[in-house]
Amino acid sequence: MQEKEYILRVQDLKTDFKVGRKTVHAVNGVTFDVRRGKTLCIVGESGCGKSVTAHSIMQLLPPNGMIAGGSIDYYTPSGACETLSDYKRNGSRIRAIRGKEISMIFQDPMSTLNPVYTVGSQIMEMLKKHEKVDRAEGKARIIRLLGELGIPNPEIRYDQYPHEFSGGMKQRIMIAIAMICNPTLLIADEPTTALDVTIQAQILDLIRRMQKNYGTSVILITHNMGIVVEVADDVAVMYMGRVVEFGSVEQIFANPMHPYTKALMKSVPVLGMNKDRELTVIEGTTPDASTVFTGCEFAERCESARPECFQRFPKDTVVEAGHRVRCLLYEEGGKSNG
Amino acid sequence: MFKYILRKLVALLPKLLAMSIILFFALELLPGDALSRTMPPDQYQALSEAQKDAAREALGLNDSPVIRYFRWLNQIFHGDFGYSASTGQNIGTMLAGRLPYTIELSFYGLLLATVIGLVLGFLSAFMKNTVVDYFCTSISVFGISLPEFFFGIVFIILFSVHLKWLPSGGRMPVGEHGFFSRVPYLVLPVMTMAISLTAALVRYTKNSMLDVMGKDYIKTARSKGLRETTVSFKHAFRNSLIPTMTLIVMRLPRLVGGSAVIETVFNYPGIGNMALTALNAGDIPVVMITTMTTGVMVLLSSTLVDIVTAMLDPRIRLG
Amino acid sequence: MTVQKKKTSLAKRNWQKFIRNRMAVVGMIGLFIIIAACLAAPLLTPYDPTFINPGIRALSPSSEHLLGTDRLGRDIFARILYGGRWSIMIGVVAAMGANLLGAALGCISGYYGGKVDSVLVSIQEMLSIFPGTLINMLCIGFMGKSVRNLLLIFTFTGWPGVMRIVRGRILSLKQEPYVESCRANGIGGTSIMFHHLLPNTLGPIIVNSTMNVAGYILSEAALSYLGLGVPDNVPTWGNIINAAKRLDIVQTLPMLWIAPAAAICLFVLSINFFGDGLRDALDPSSK
Repeated sequence: MQEKEYILRVQDLKTDFKVGRKTVHAVNGVTFDVRRGKTLCIVGESGCGKSVTAHSIMQLLPPNGMIAGGSIDYYTPSGACETLSDYKRNGSRIRAIRGKEISMIFQDPMSTLNPVYTVGSQIMEMLKKHEKVDRAEGKARIIRLLGELGIPNPEIRYDQYPHEFSGGMKQRIMIAIAMICNPTLLIADEPTTALDVTIQAQILDLIRRMQKNYGTSVILITHNMGIVVEVADDVAVMYMGRVVEFGSVEQIFANPMHPYTKALMKSVPVLGMNKDRELTVIEGTTPDASTVFTGCEFAERCESARPECFQRFPKDTVVEAGHRVRCLLYEEGGKSNG
Repeated sequence: MFKYILRKLVALLPKLLAMSIILFFALELLPGDALSRTMPPDQYQALSEAQKDAAREALGLNDSPVIRYFRWLNQIFHGDFGYSASTGQNIGTMLAGRLPYTIELSFYGLLLATVIGLVLGFLSAFMKNTVVDYFCTSISVFGISLPEFFFGIVFIILFSVHLKWLPSGGRMPVGEHGFFSRVPYLVLPVMTMAISLTAALVRYTKNSMLDVMGKDYIKTARSKGLRETTVSFKHAFRNSLIPTMTLIVMRLPRLVGGSAVIETVFNYPGIGNMALTALNAGDIPVVMITTMTTGVMVLLSSTLVDIVTAMLDPRIRLG
Repeated sequence: MTVQKKKTSLAKRNWQKFIRNRMAVVGMIGLFIIIAACLAAPLLTPYDPTFINPGIRALSPSSEHLLGTDRLGRDIFARILYGGRWSIMIGVVAAMGANLLGAALGCISGYYGGKVDSVLVSIQEMLSIFPGTLINMLCIGFMGKSVRNLLLIFTFTGWPGVMRIVRGRILSLKQEPYVESCRANGIGGTSIMFHHLLPNTLGPIIVNSTMNVAGYILSEAALSYLGLGVPDNVPTWGNIINAAKRLDIVQTLPMLWIAPAAAICLFVLSINFFGDGLRDALDPSSK
């Protein structure tokens, strides 16, 4: 039952980084699910661990990072369960997943394409790796996809090098690389952050269209609430390496519970919001990643913090079906989840 | 690509021209009779003062420097560099006899250094913090810490005196021809010549590789599900070569200059050896012309390396 | 006052960065030991490095002559210690000369730009095309063998590398707003150049000078080996090896070339480690 509904289940994921002699818990017990064919948005400020979470799923952490606990289960279309968190980094099992089942788009398209190969050959490399196709057939398929992604003159562009493309066009090429093998899950790590605002909308639109056409599930990582409301089915709000609130987009937007989520909503303009609602700023700054906490990480910036908040960690509390929040204010009311 | 090569070749011209002008005026400023350099010494000795004056007039040595420069340039294109005071030979003939040997030595030295340097540098980065890495790093550290001729001496003692595998010097056995009779005579000098460039390249390639391995497009390559060897070799190595090529260009003068020392150690009859002999005989024009020739060699080979770099990097080729 | 405080804390931070690098510390200690031994040569050996004693020619190492004697009966250990004084002095003075000249030219070139720049750059390009060994040989041939000439030649042929580094730094520093504000405040060109720009290029210059000391010691050795370095009566590490040019001497008196080569190797290794450490410590982008 759950294998059919979910494509990815992340349970209590912990990812550590070694910085000098110190160990930083970049991701500290993250739990969320991705529903098949739906879009999950992971939202939070920079440095909250959302990108590290994405890299953990793909086992693409830098050499000083490692998964220290928890599990990442991926359910293939045939129903088999692959525990990605147990796979060896760059080992053959994770490589069979990468690109074919799960593919990824990164933040800065200016540096994610290899400058010395033509874009065509970089897409072809992905296709050849996972499917048995001959060159001509593969090239036709790539050119068709490039056209679908709104790249003019795809036949000519196929043989050009990355430096001959603009940022937005490069990101389209990245999407082409990610989508050419029809993956079941696409992870987009802030795909529009480095782009112009006008291009942002186009790229998001493309990702949505790809999802609709190919039935791909998507994890979209962003710090932009405006994007969340447009594309998300489910939302995970992260703060300091933890998911502080998780729910469907309706639940989160209609009934934000965690003070951080509320603050986040107030700090960004959302299309169609009341003109008289004022934008506010979240007081204080994100603490250093190596800070050791004795209580809720958000307490010192929280408007409704109580003395208790500084003393013990809040537990995940289910407030309604599919809506969890990690805050002491709600612990008594809801059912504790661990 | 064709356009790039053309552009590079055109850019060579002003440099070559400047070098020829420097050489011409440097020779002009040398003390002594300019006439003595235009003919074999014995012939010069035989002339009376009046004949010398007549010869000067006939050869146009009294013309303005500009005219003489262009006439001299024309002579150079015909291989006539004047005569050496110490050997009495035409310097052009001397160069023609020696230059190919030095070019051969330098070319194999460059080739060997590049291949071994790049391979060891790649391995060192690929197997970071393993025995292989420490081994390669140690080689590179010692390679830059000792004078080249020291390695030459060690090689001679080891390979020709004790093991008797290879000749300790010279060019080829008397009366023999062809590449294969030369090979044993080339091995030790080429090895010696390659050492310091190899050492520099191992270190540089390793750092360059480690730098490239942190780039975003390596993450992209991994996210495609490629093998780590493919990622390292196809995606990282080729990119790491681009800055390495710049290092090779910068080190070329040192490589070619090293031939003077190495040719002395192995008694190898190249132009470095020739320059040294001429210098000891006080024959400055020969040394000047030889130095210029090595300058031209460096210039041409850097252009060649630049072209290789452009083949590796489309941004240079098309930019 | 606050500026002063900041400066010391920066120096302290760099020092801590340097001291954490194990190889750099090893290099520094090595340098210290070698230099101290060379300076304290009279205390470490009773022999005169230039005293020719035909009675004790070509001796093997013994307790009396630690590394044996050469073909003229001179004590090799003494020659290496006293030779180190010369070799290191030549390396240091040449490196300082070349780097000072290069830094000054680089500053002028980068700051004034225009014609001055293009002339200096083309001289620099020309000079760096020619193999240093041959240019040095040629110059020695003209000027004659002496330590002073060698230092002059190293200085006048060695500046292109530094000049390129400093010019590049100045060109990028010139874009910074603080230079603009200096100019707006009526500070003169020379003052901006030497008081405000040059100090910011000091890190790379120091690192380059350090590495150059090693380079010049190797160059001196090579030239001396060719018989074109310093006069024969000056013991330098290169000159000591020069005596071992003939194959029979190489075999019968191995200490004659192995010992000075080892001295060169240790010194150059130490300097390279030390220089690497300096580079990492002075590079603000590294942690």
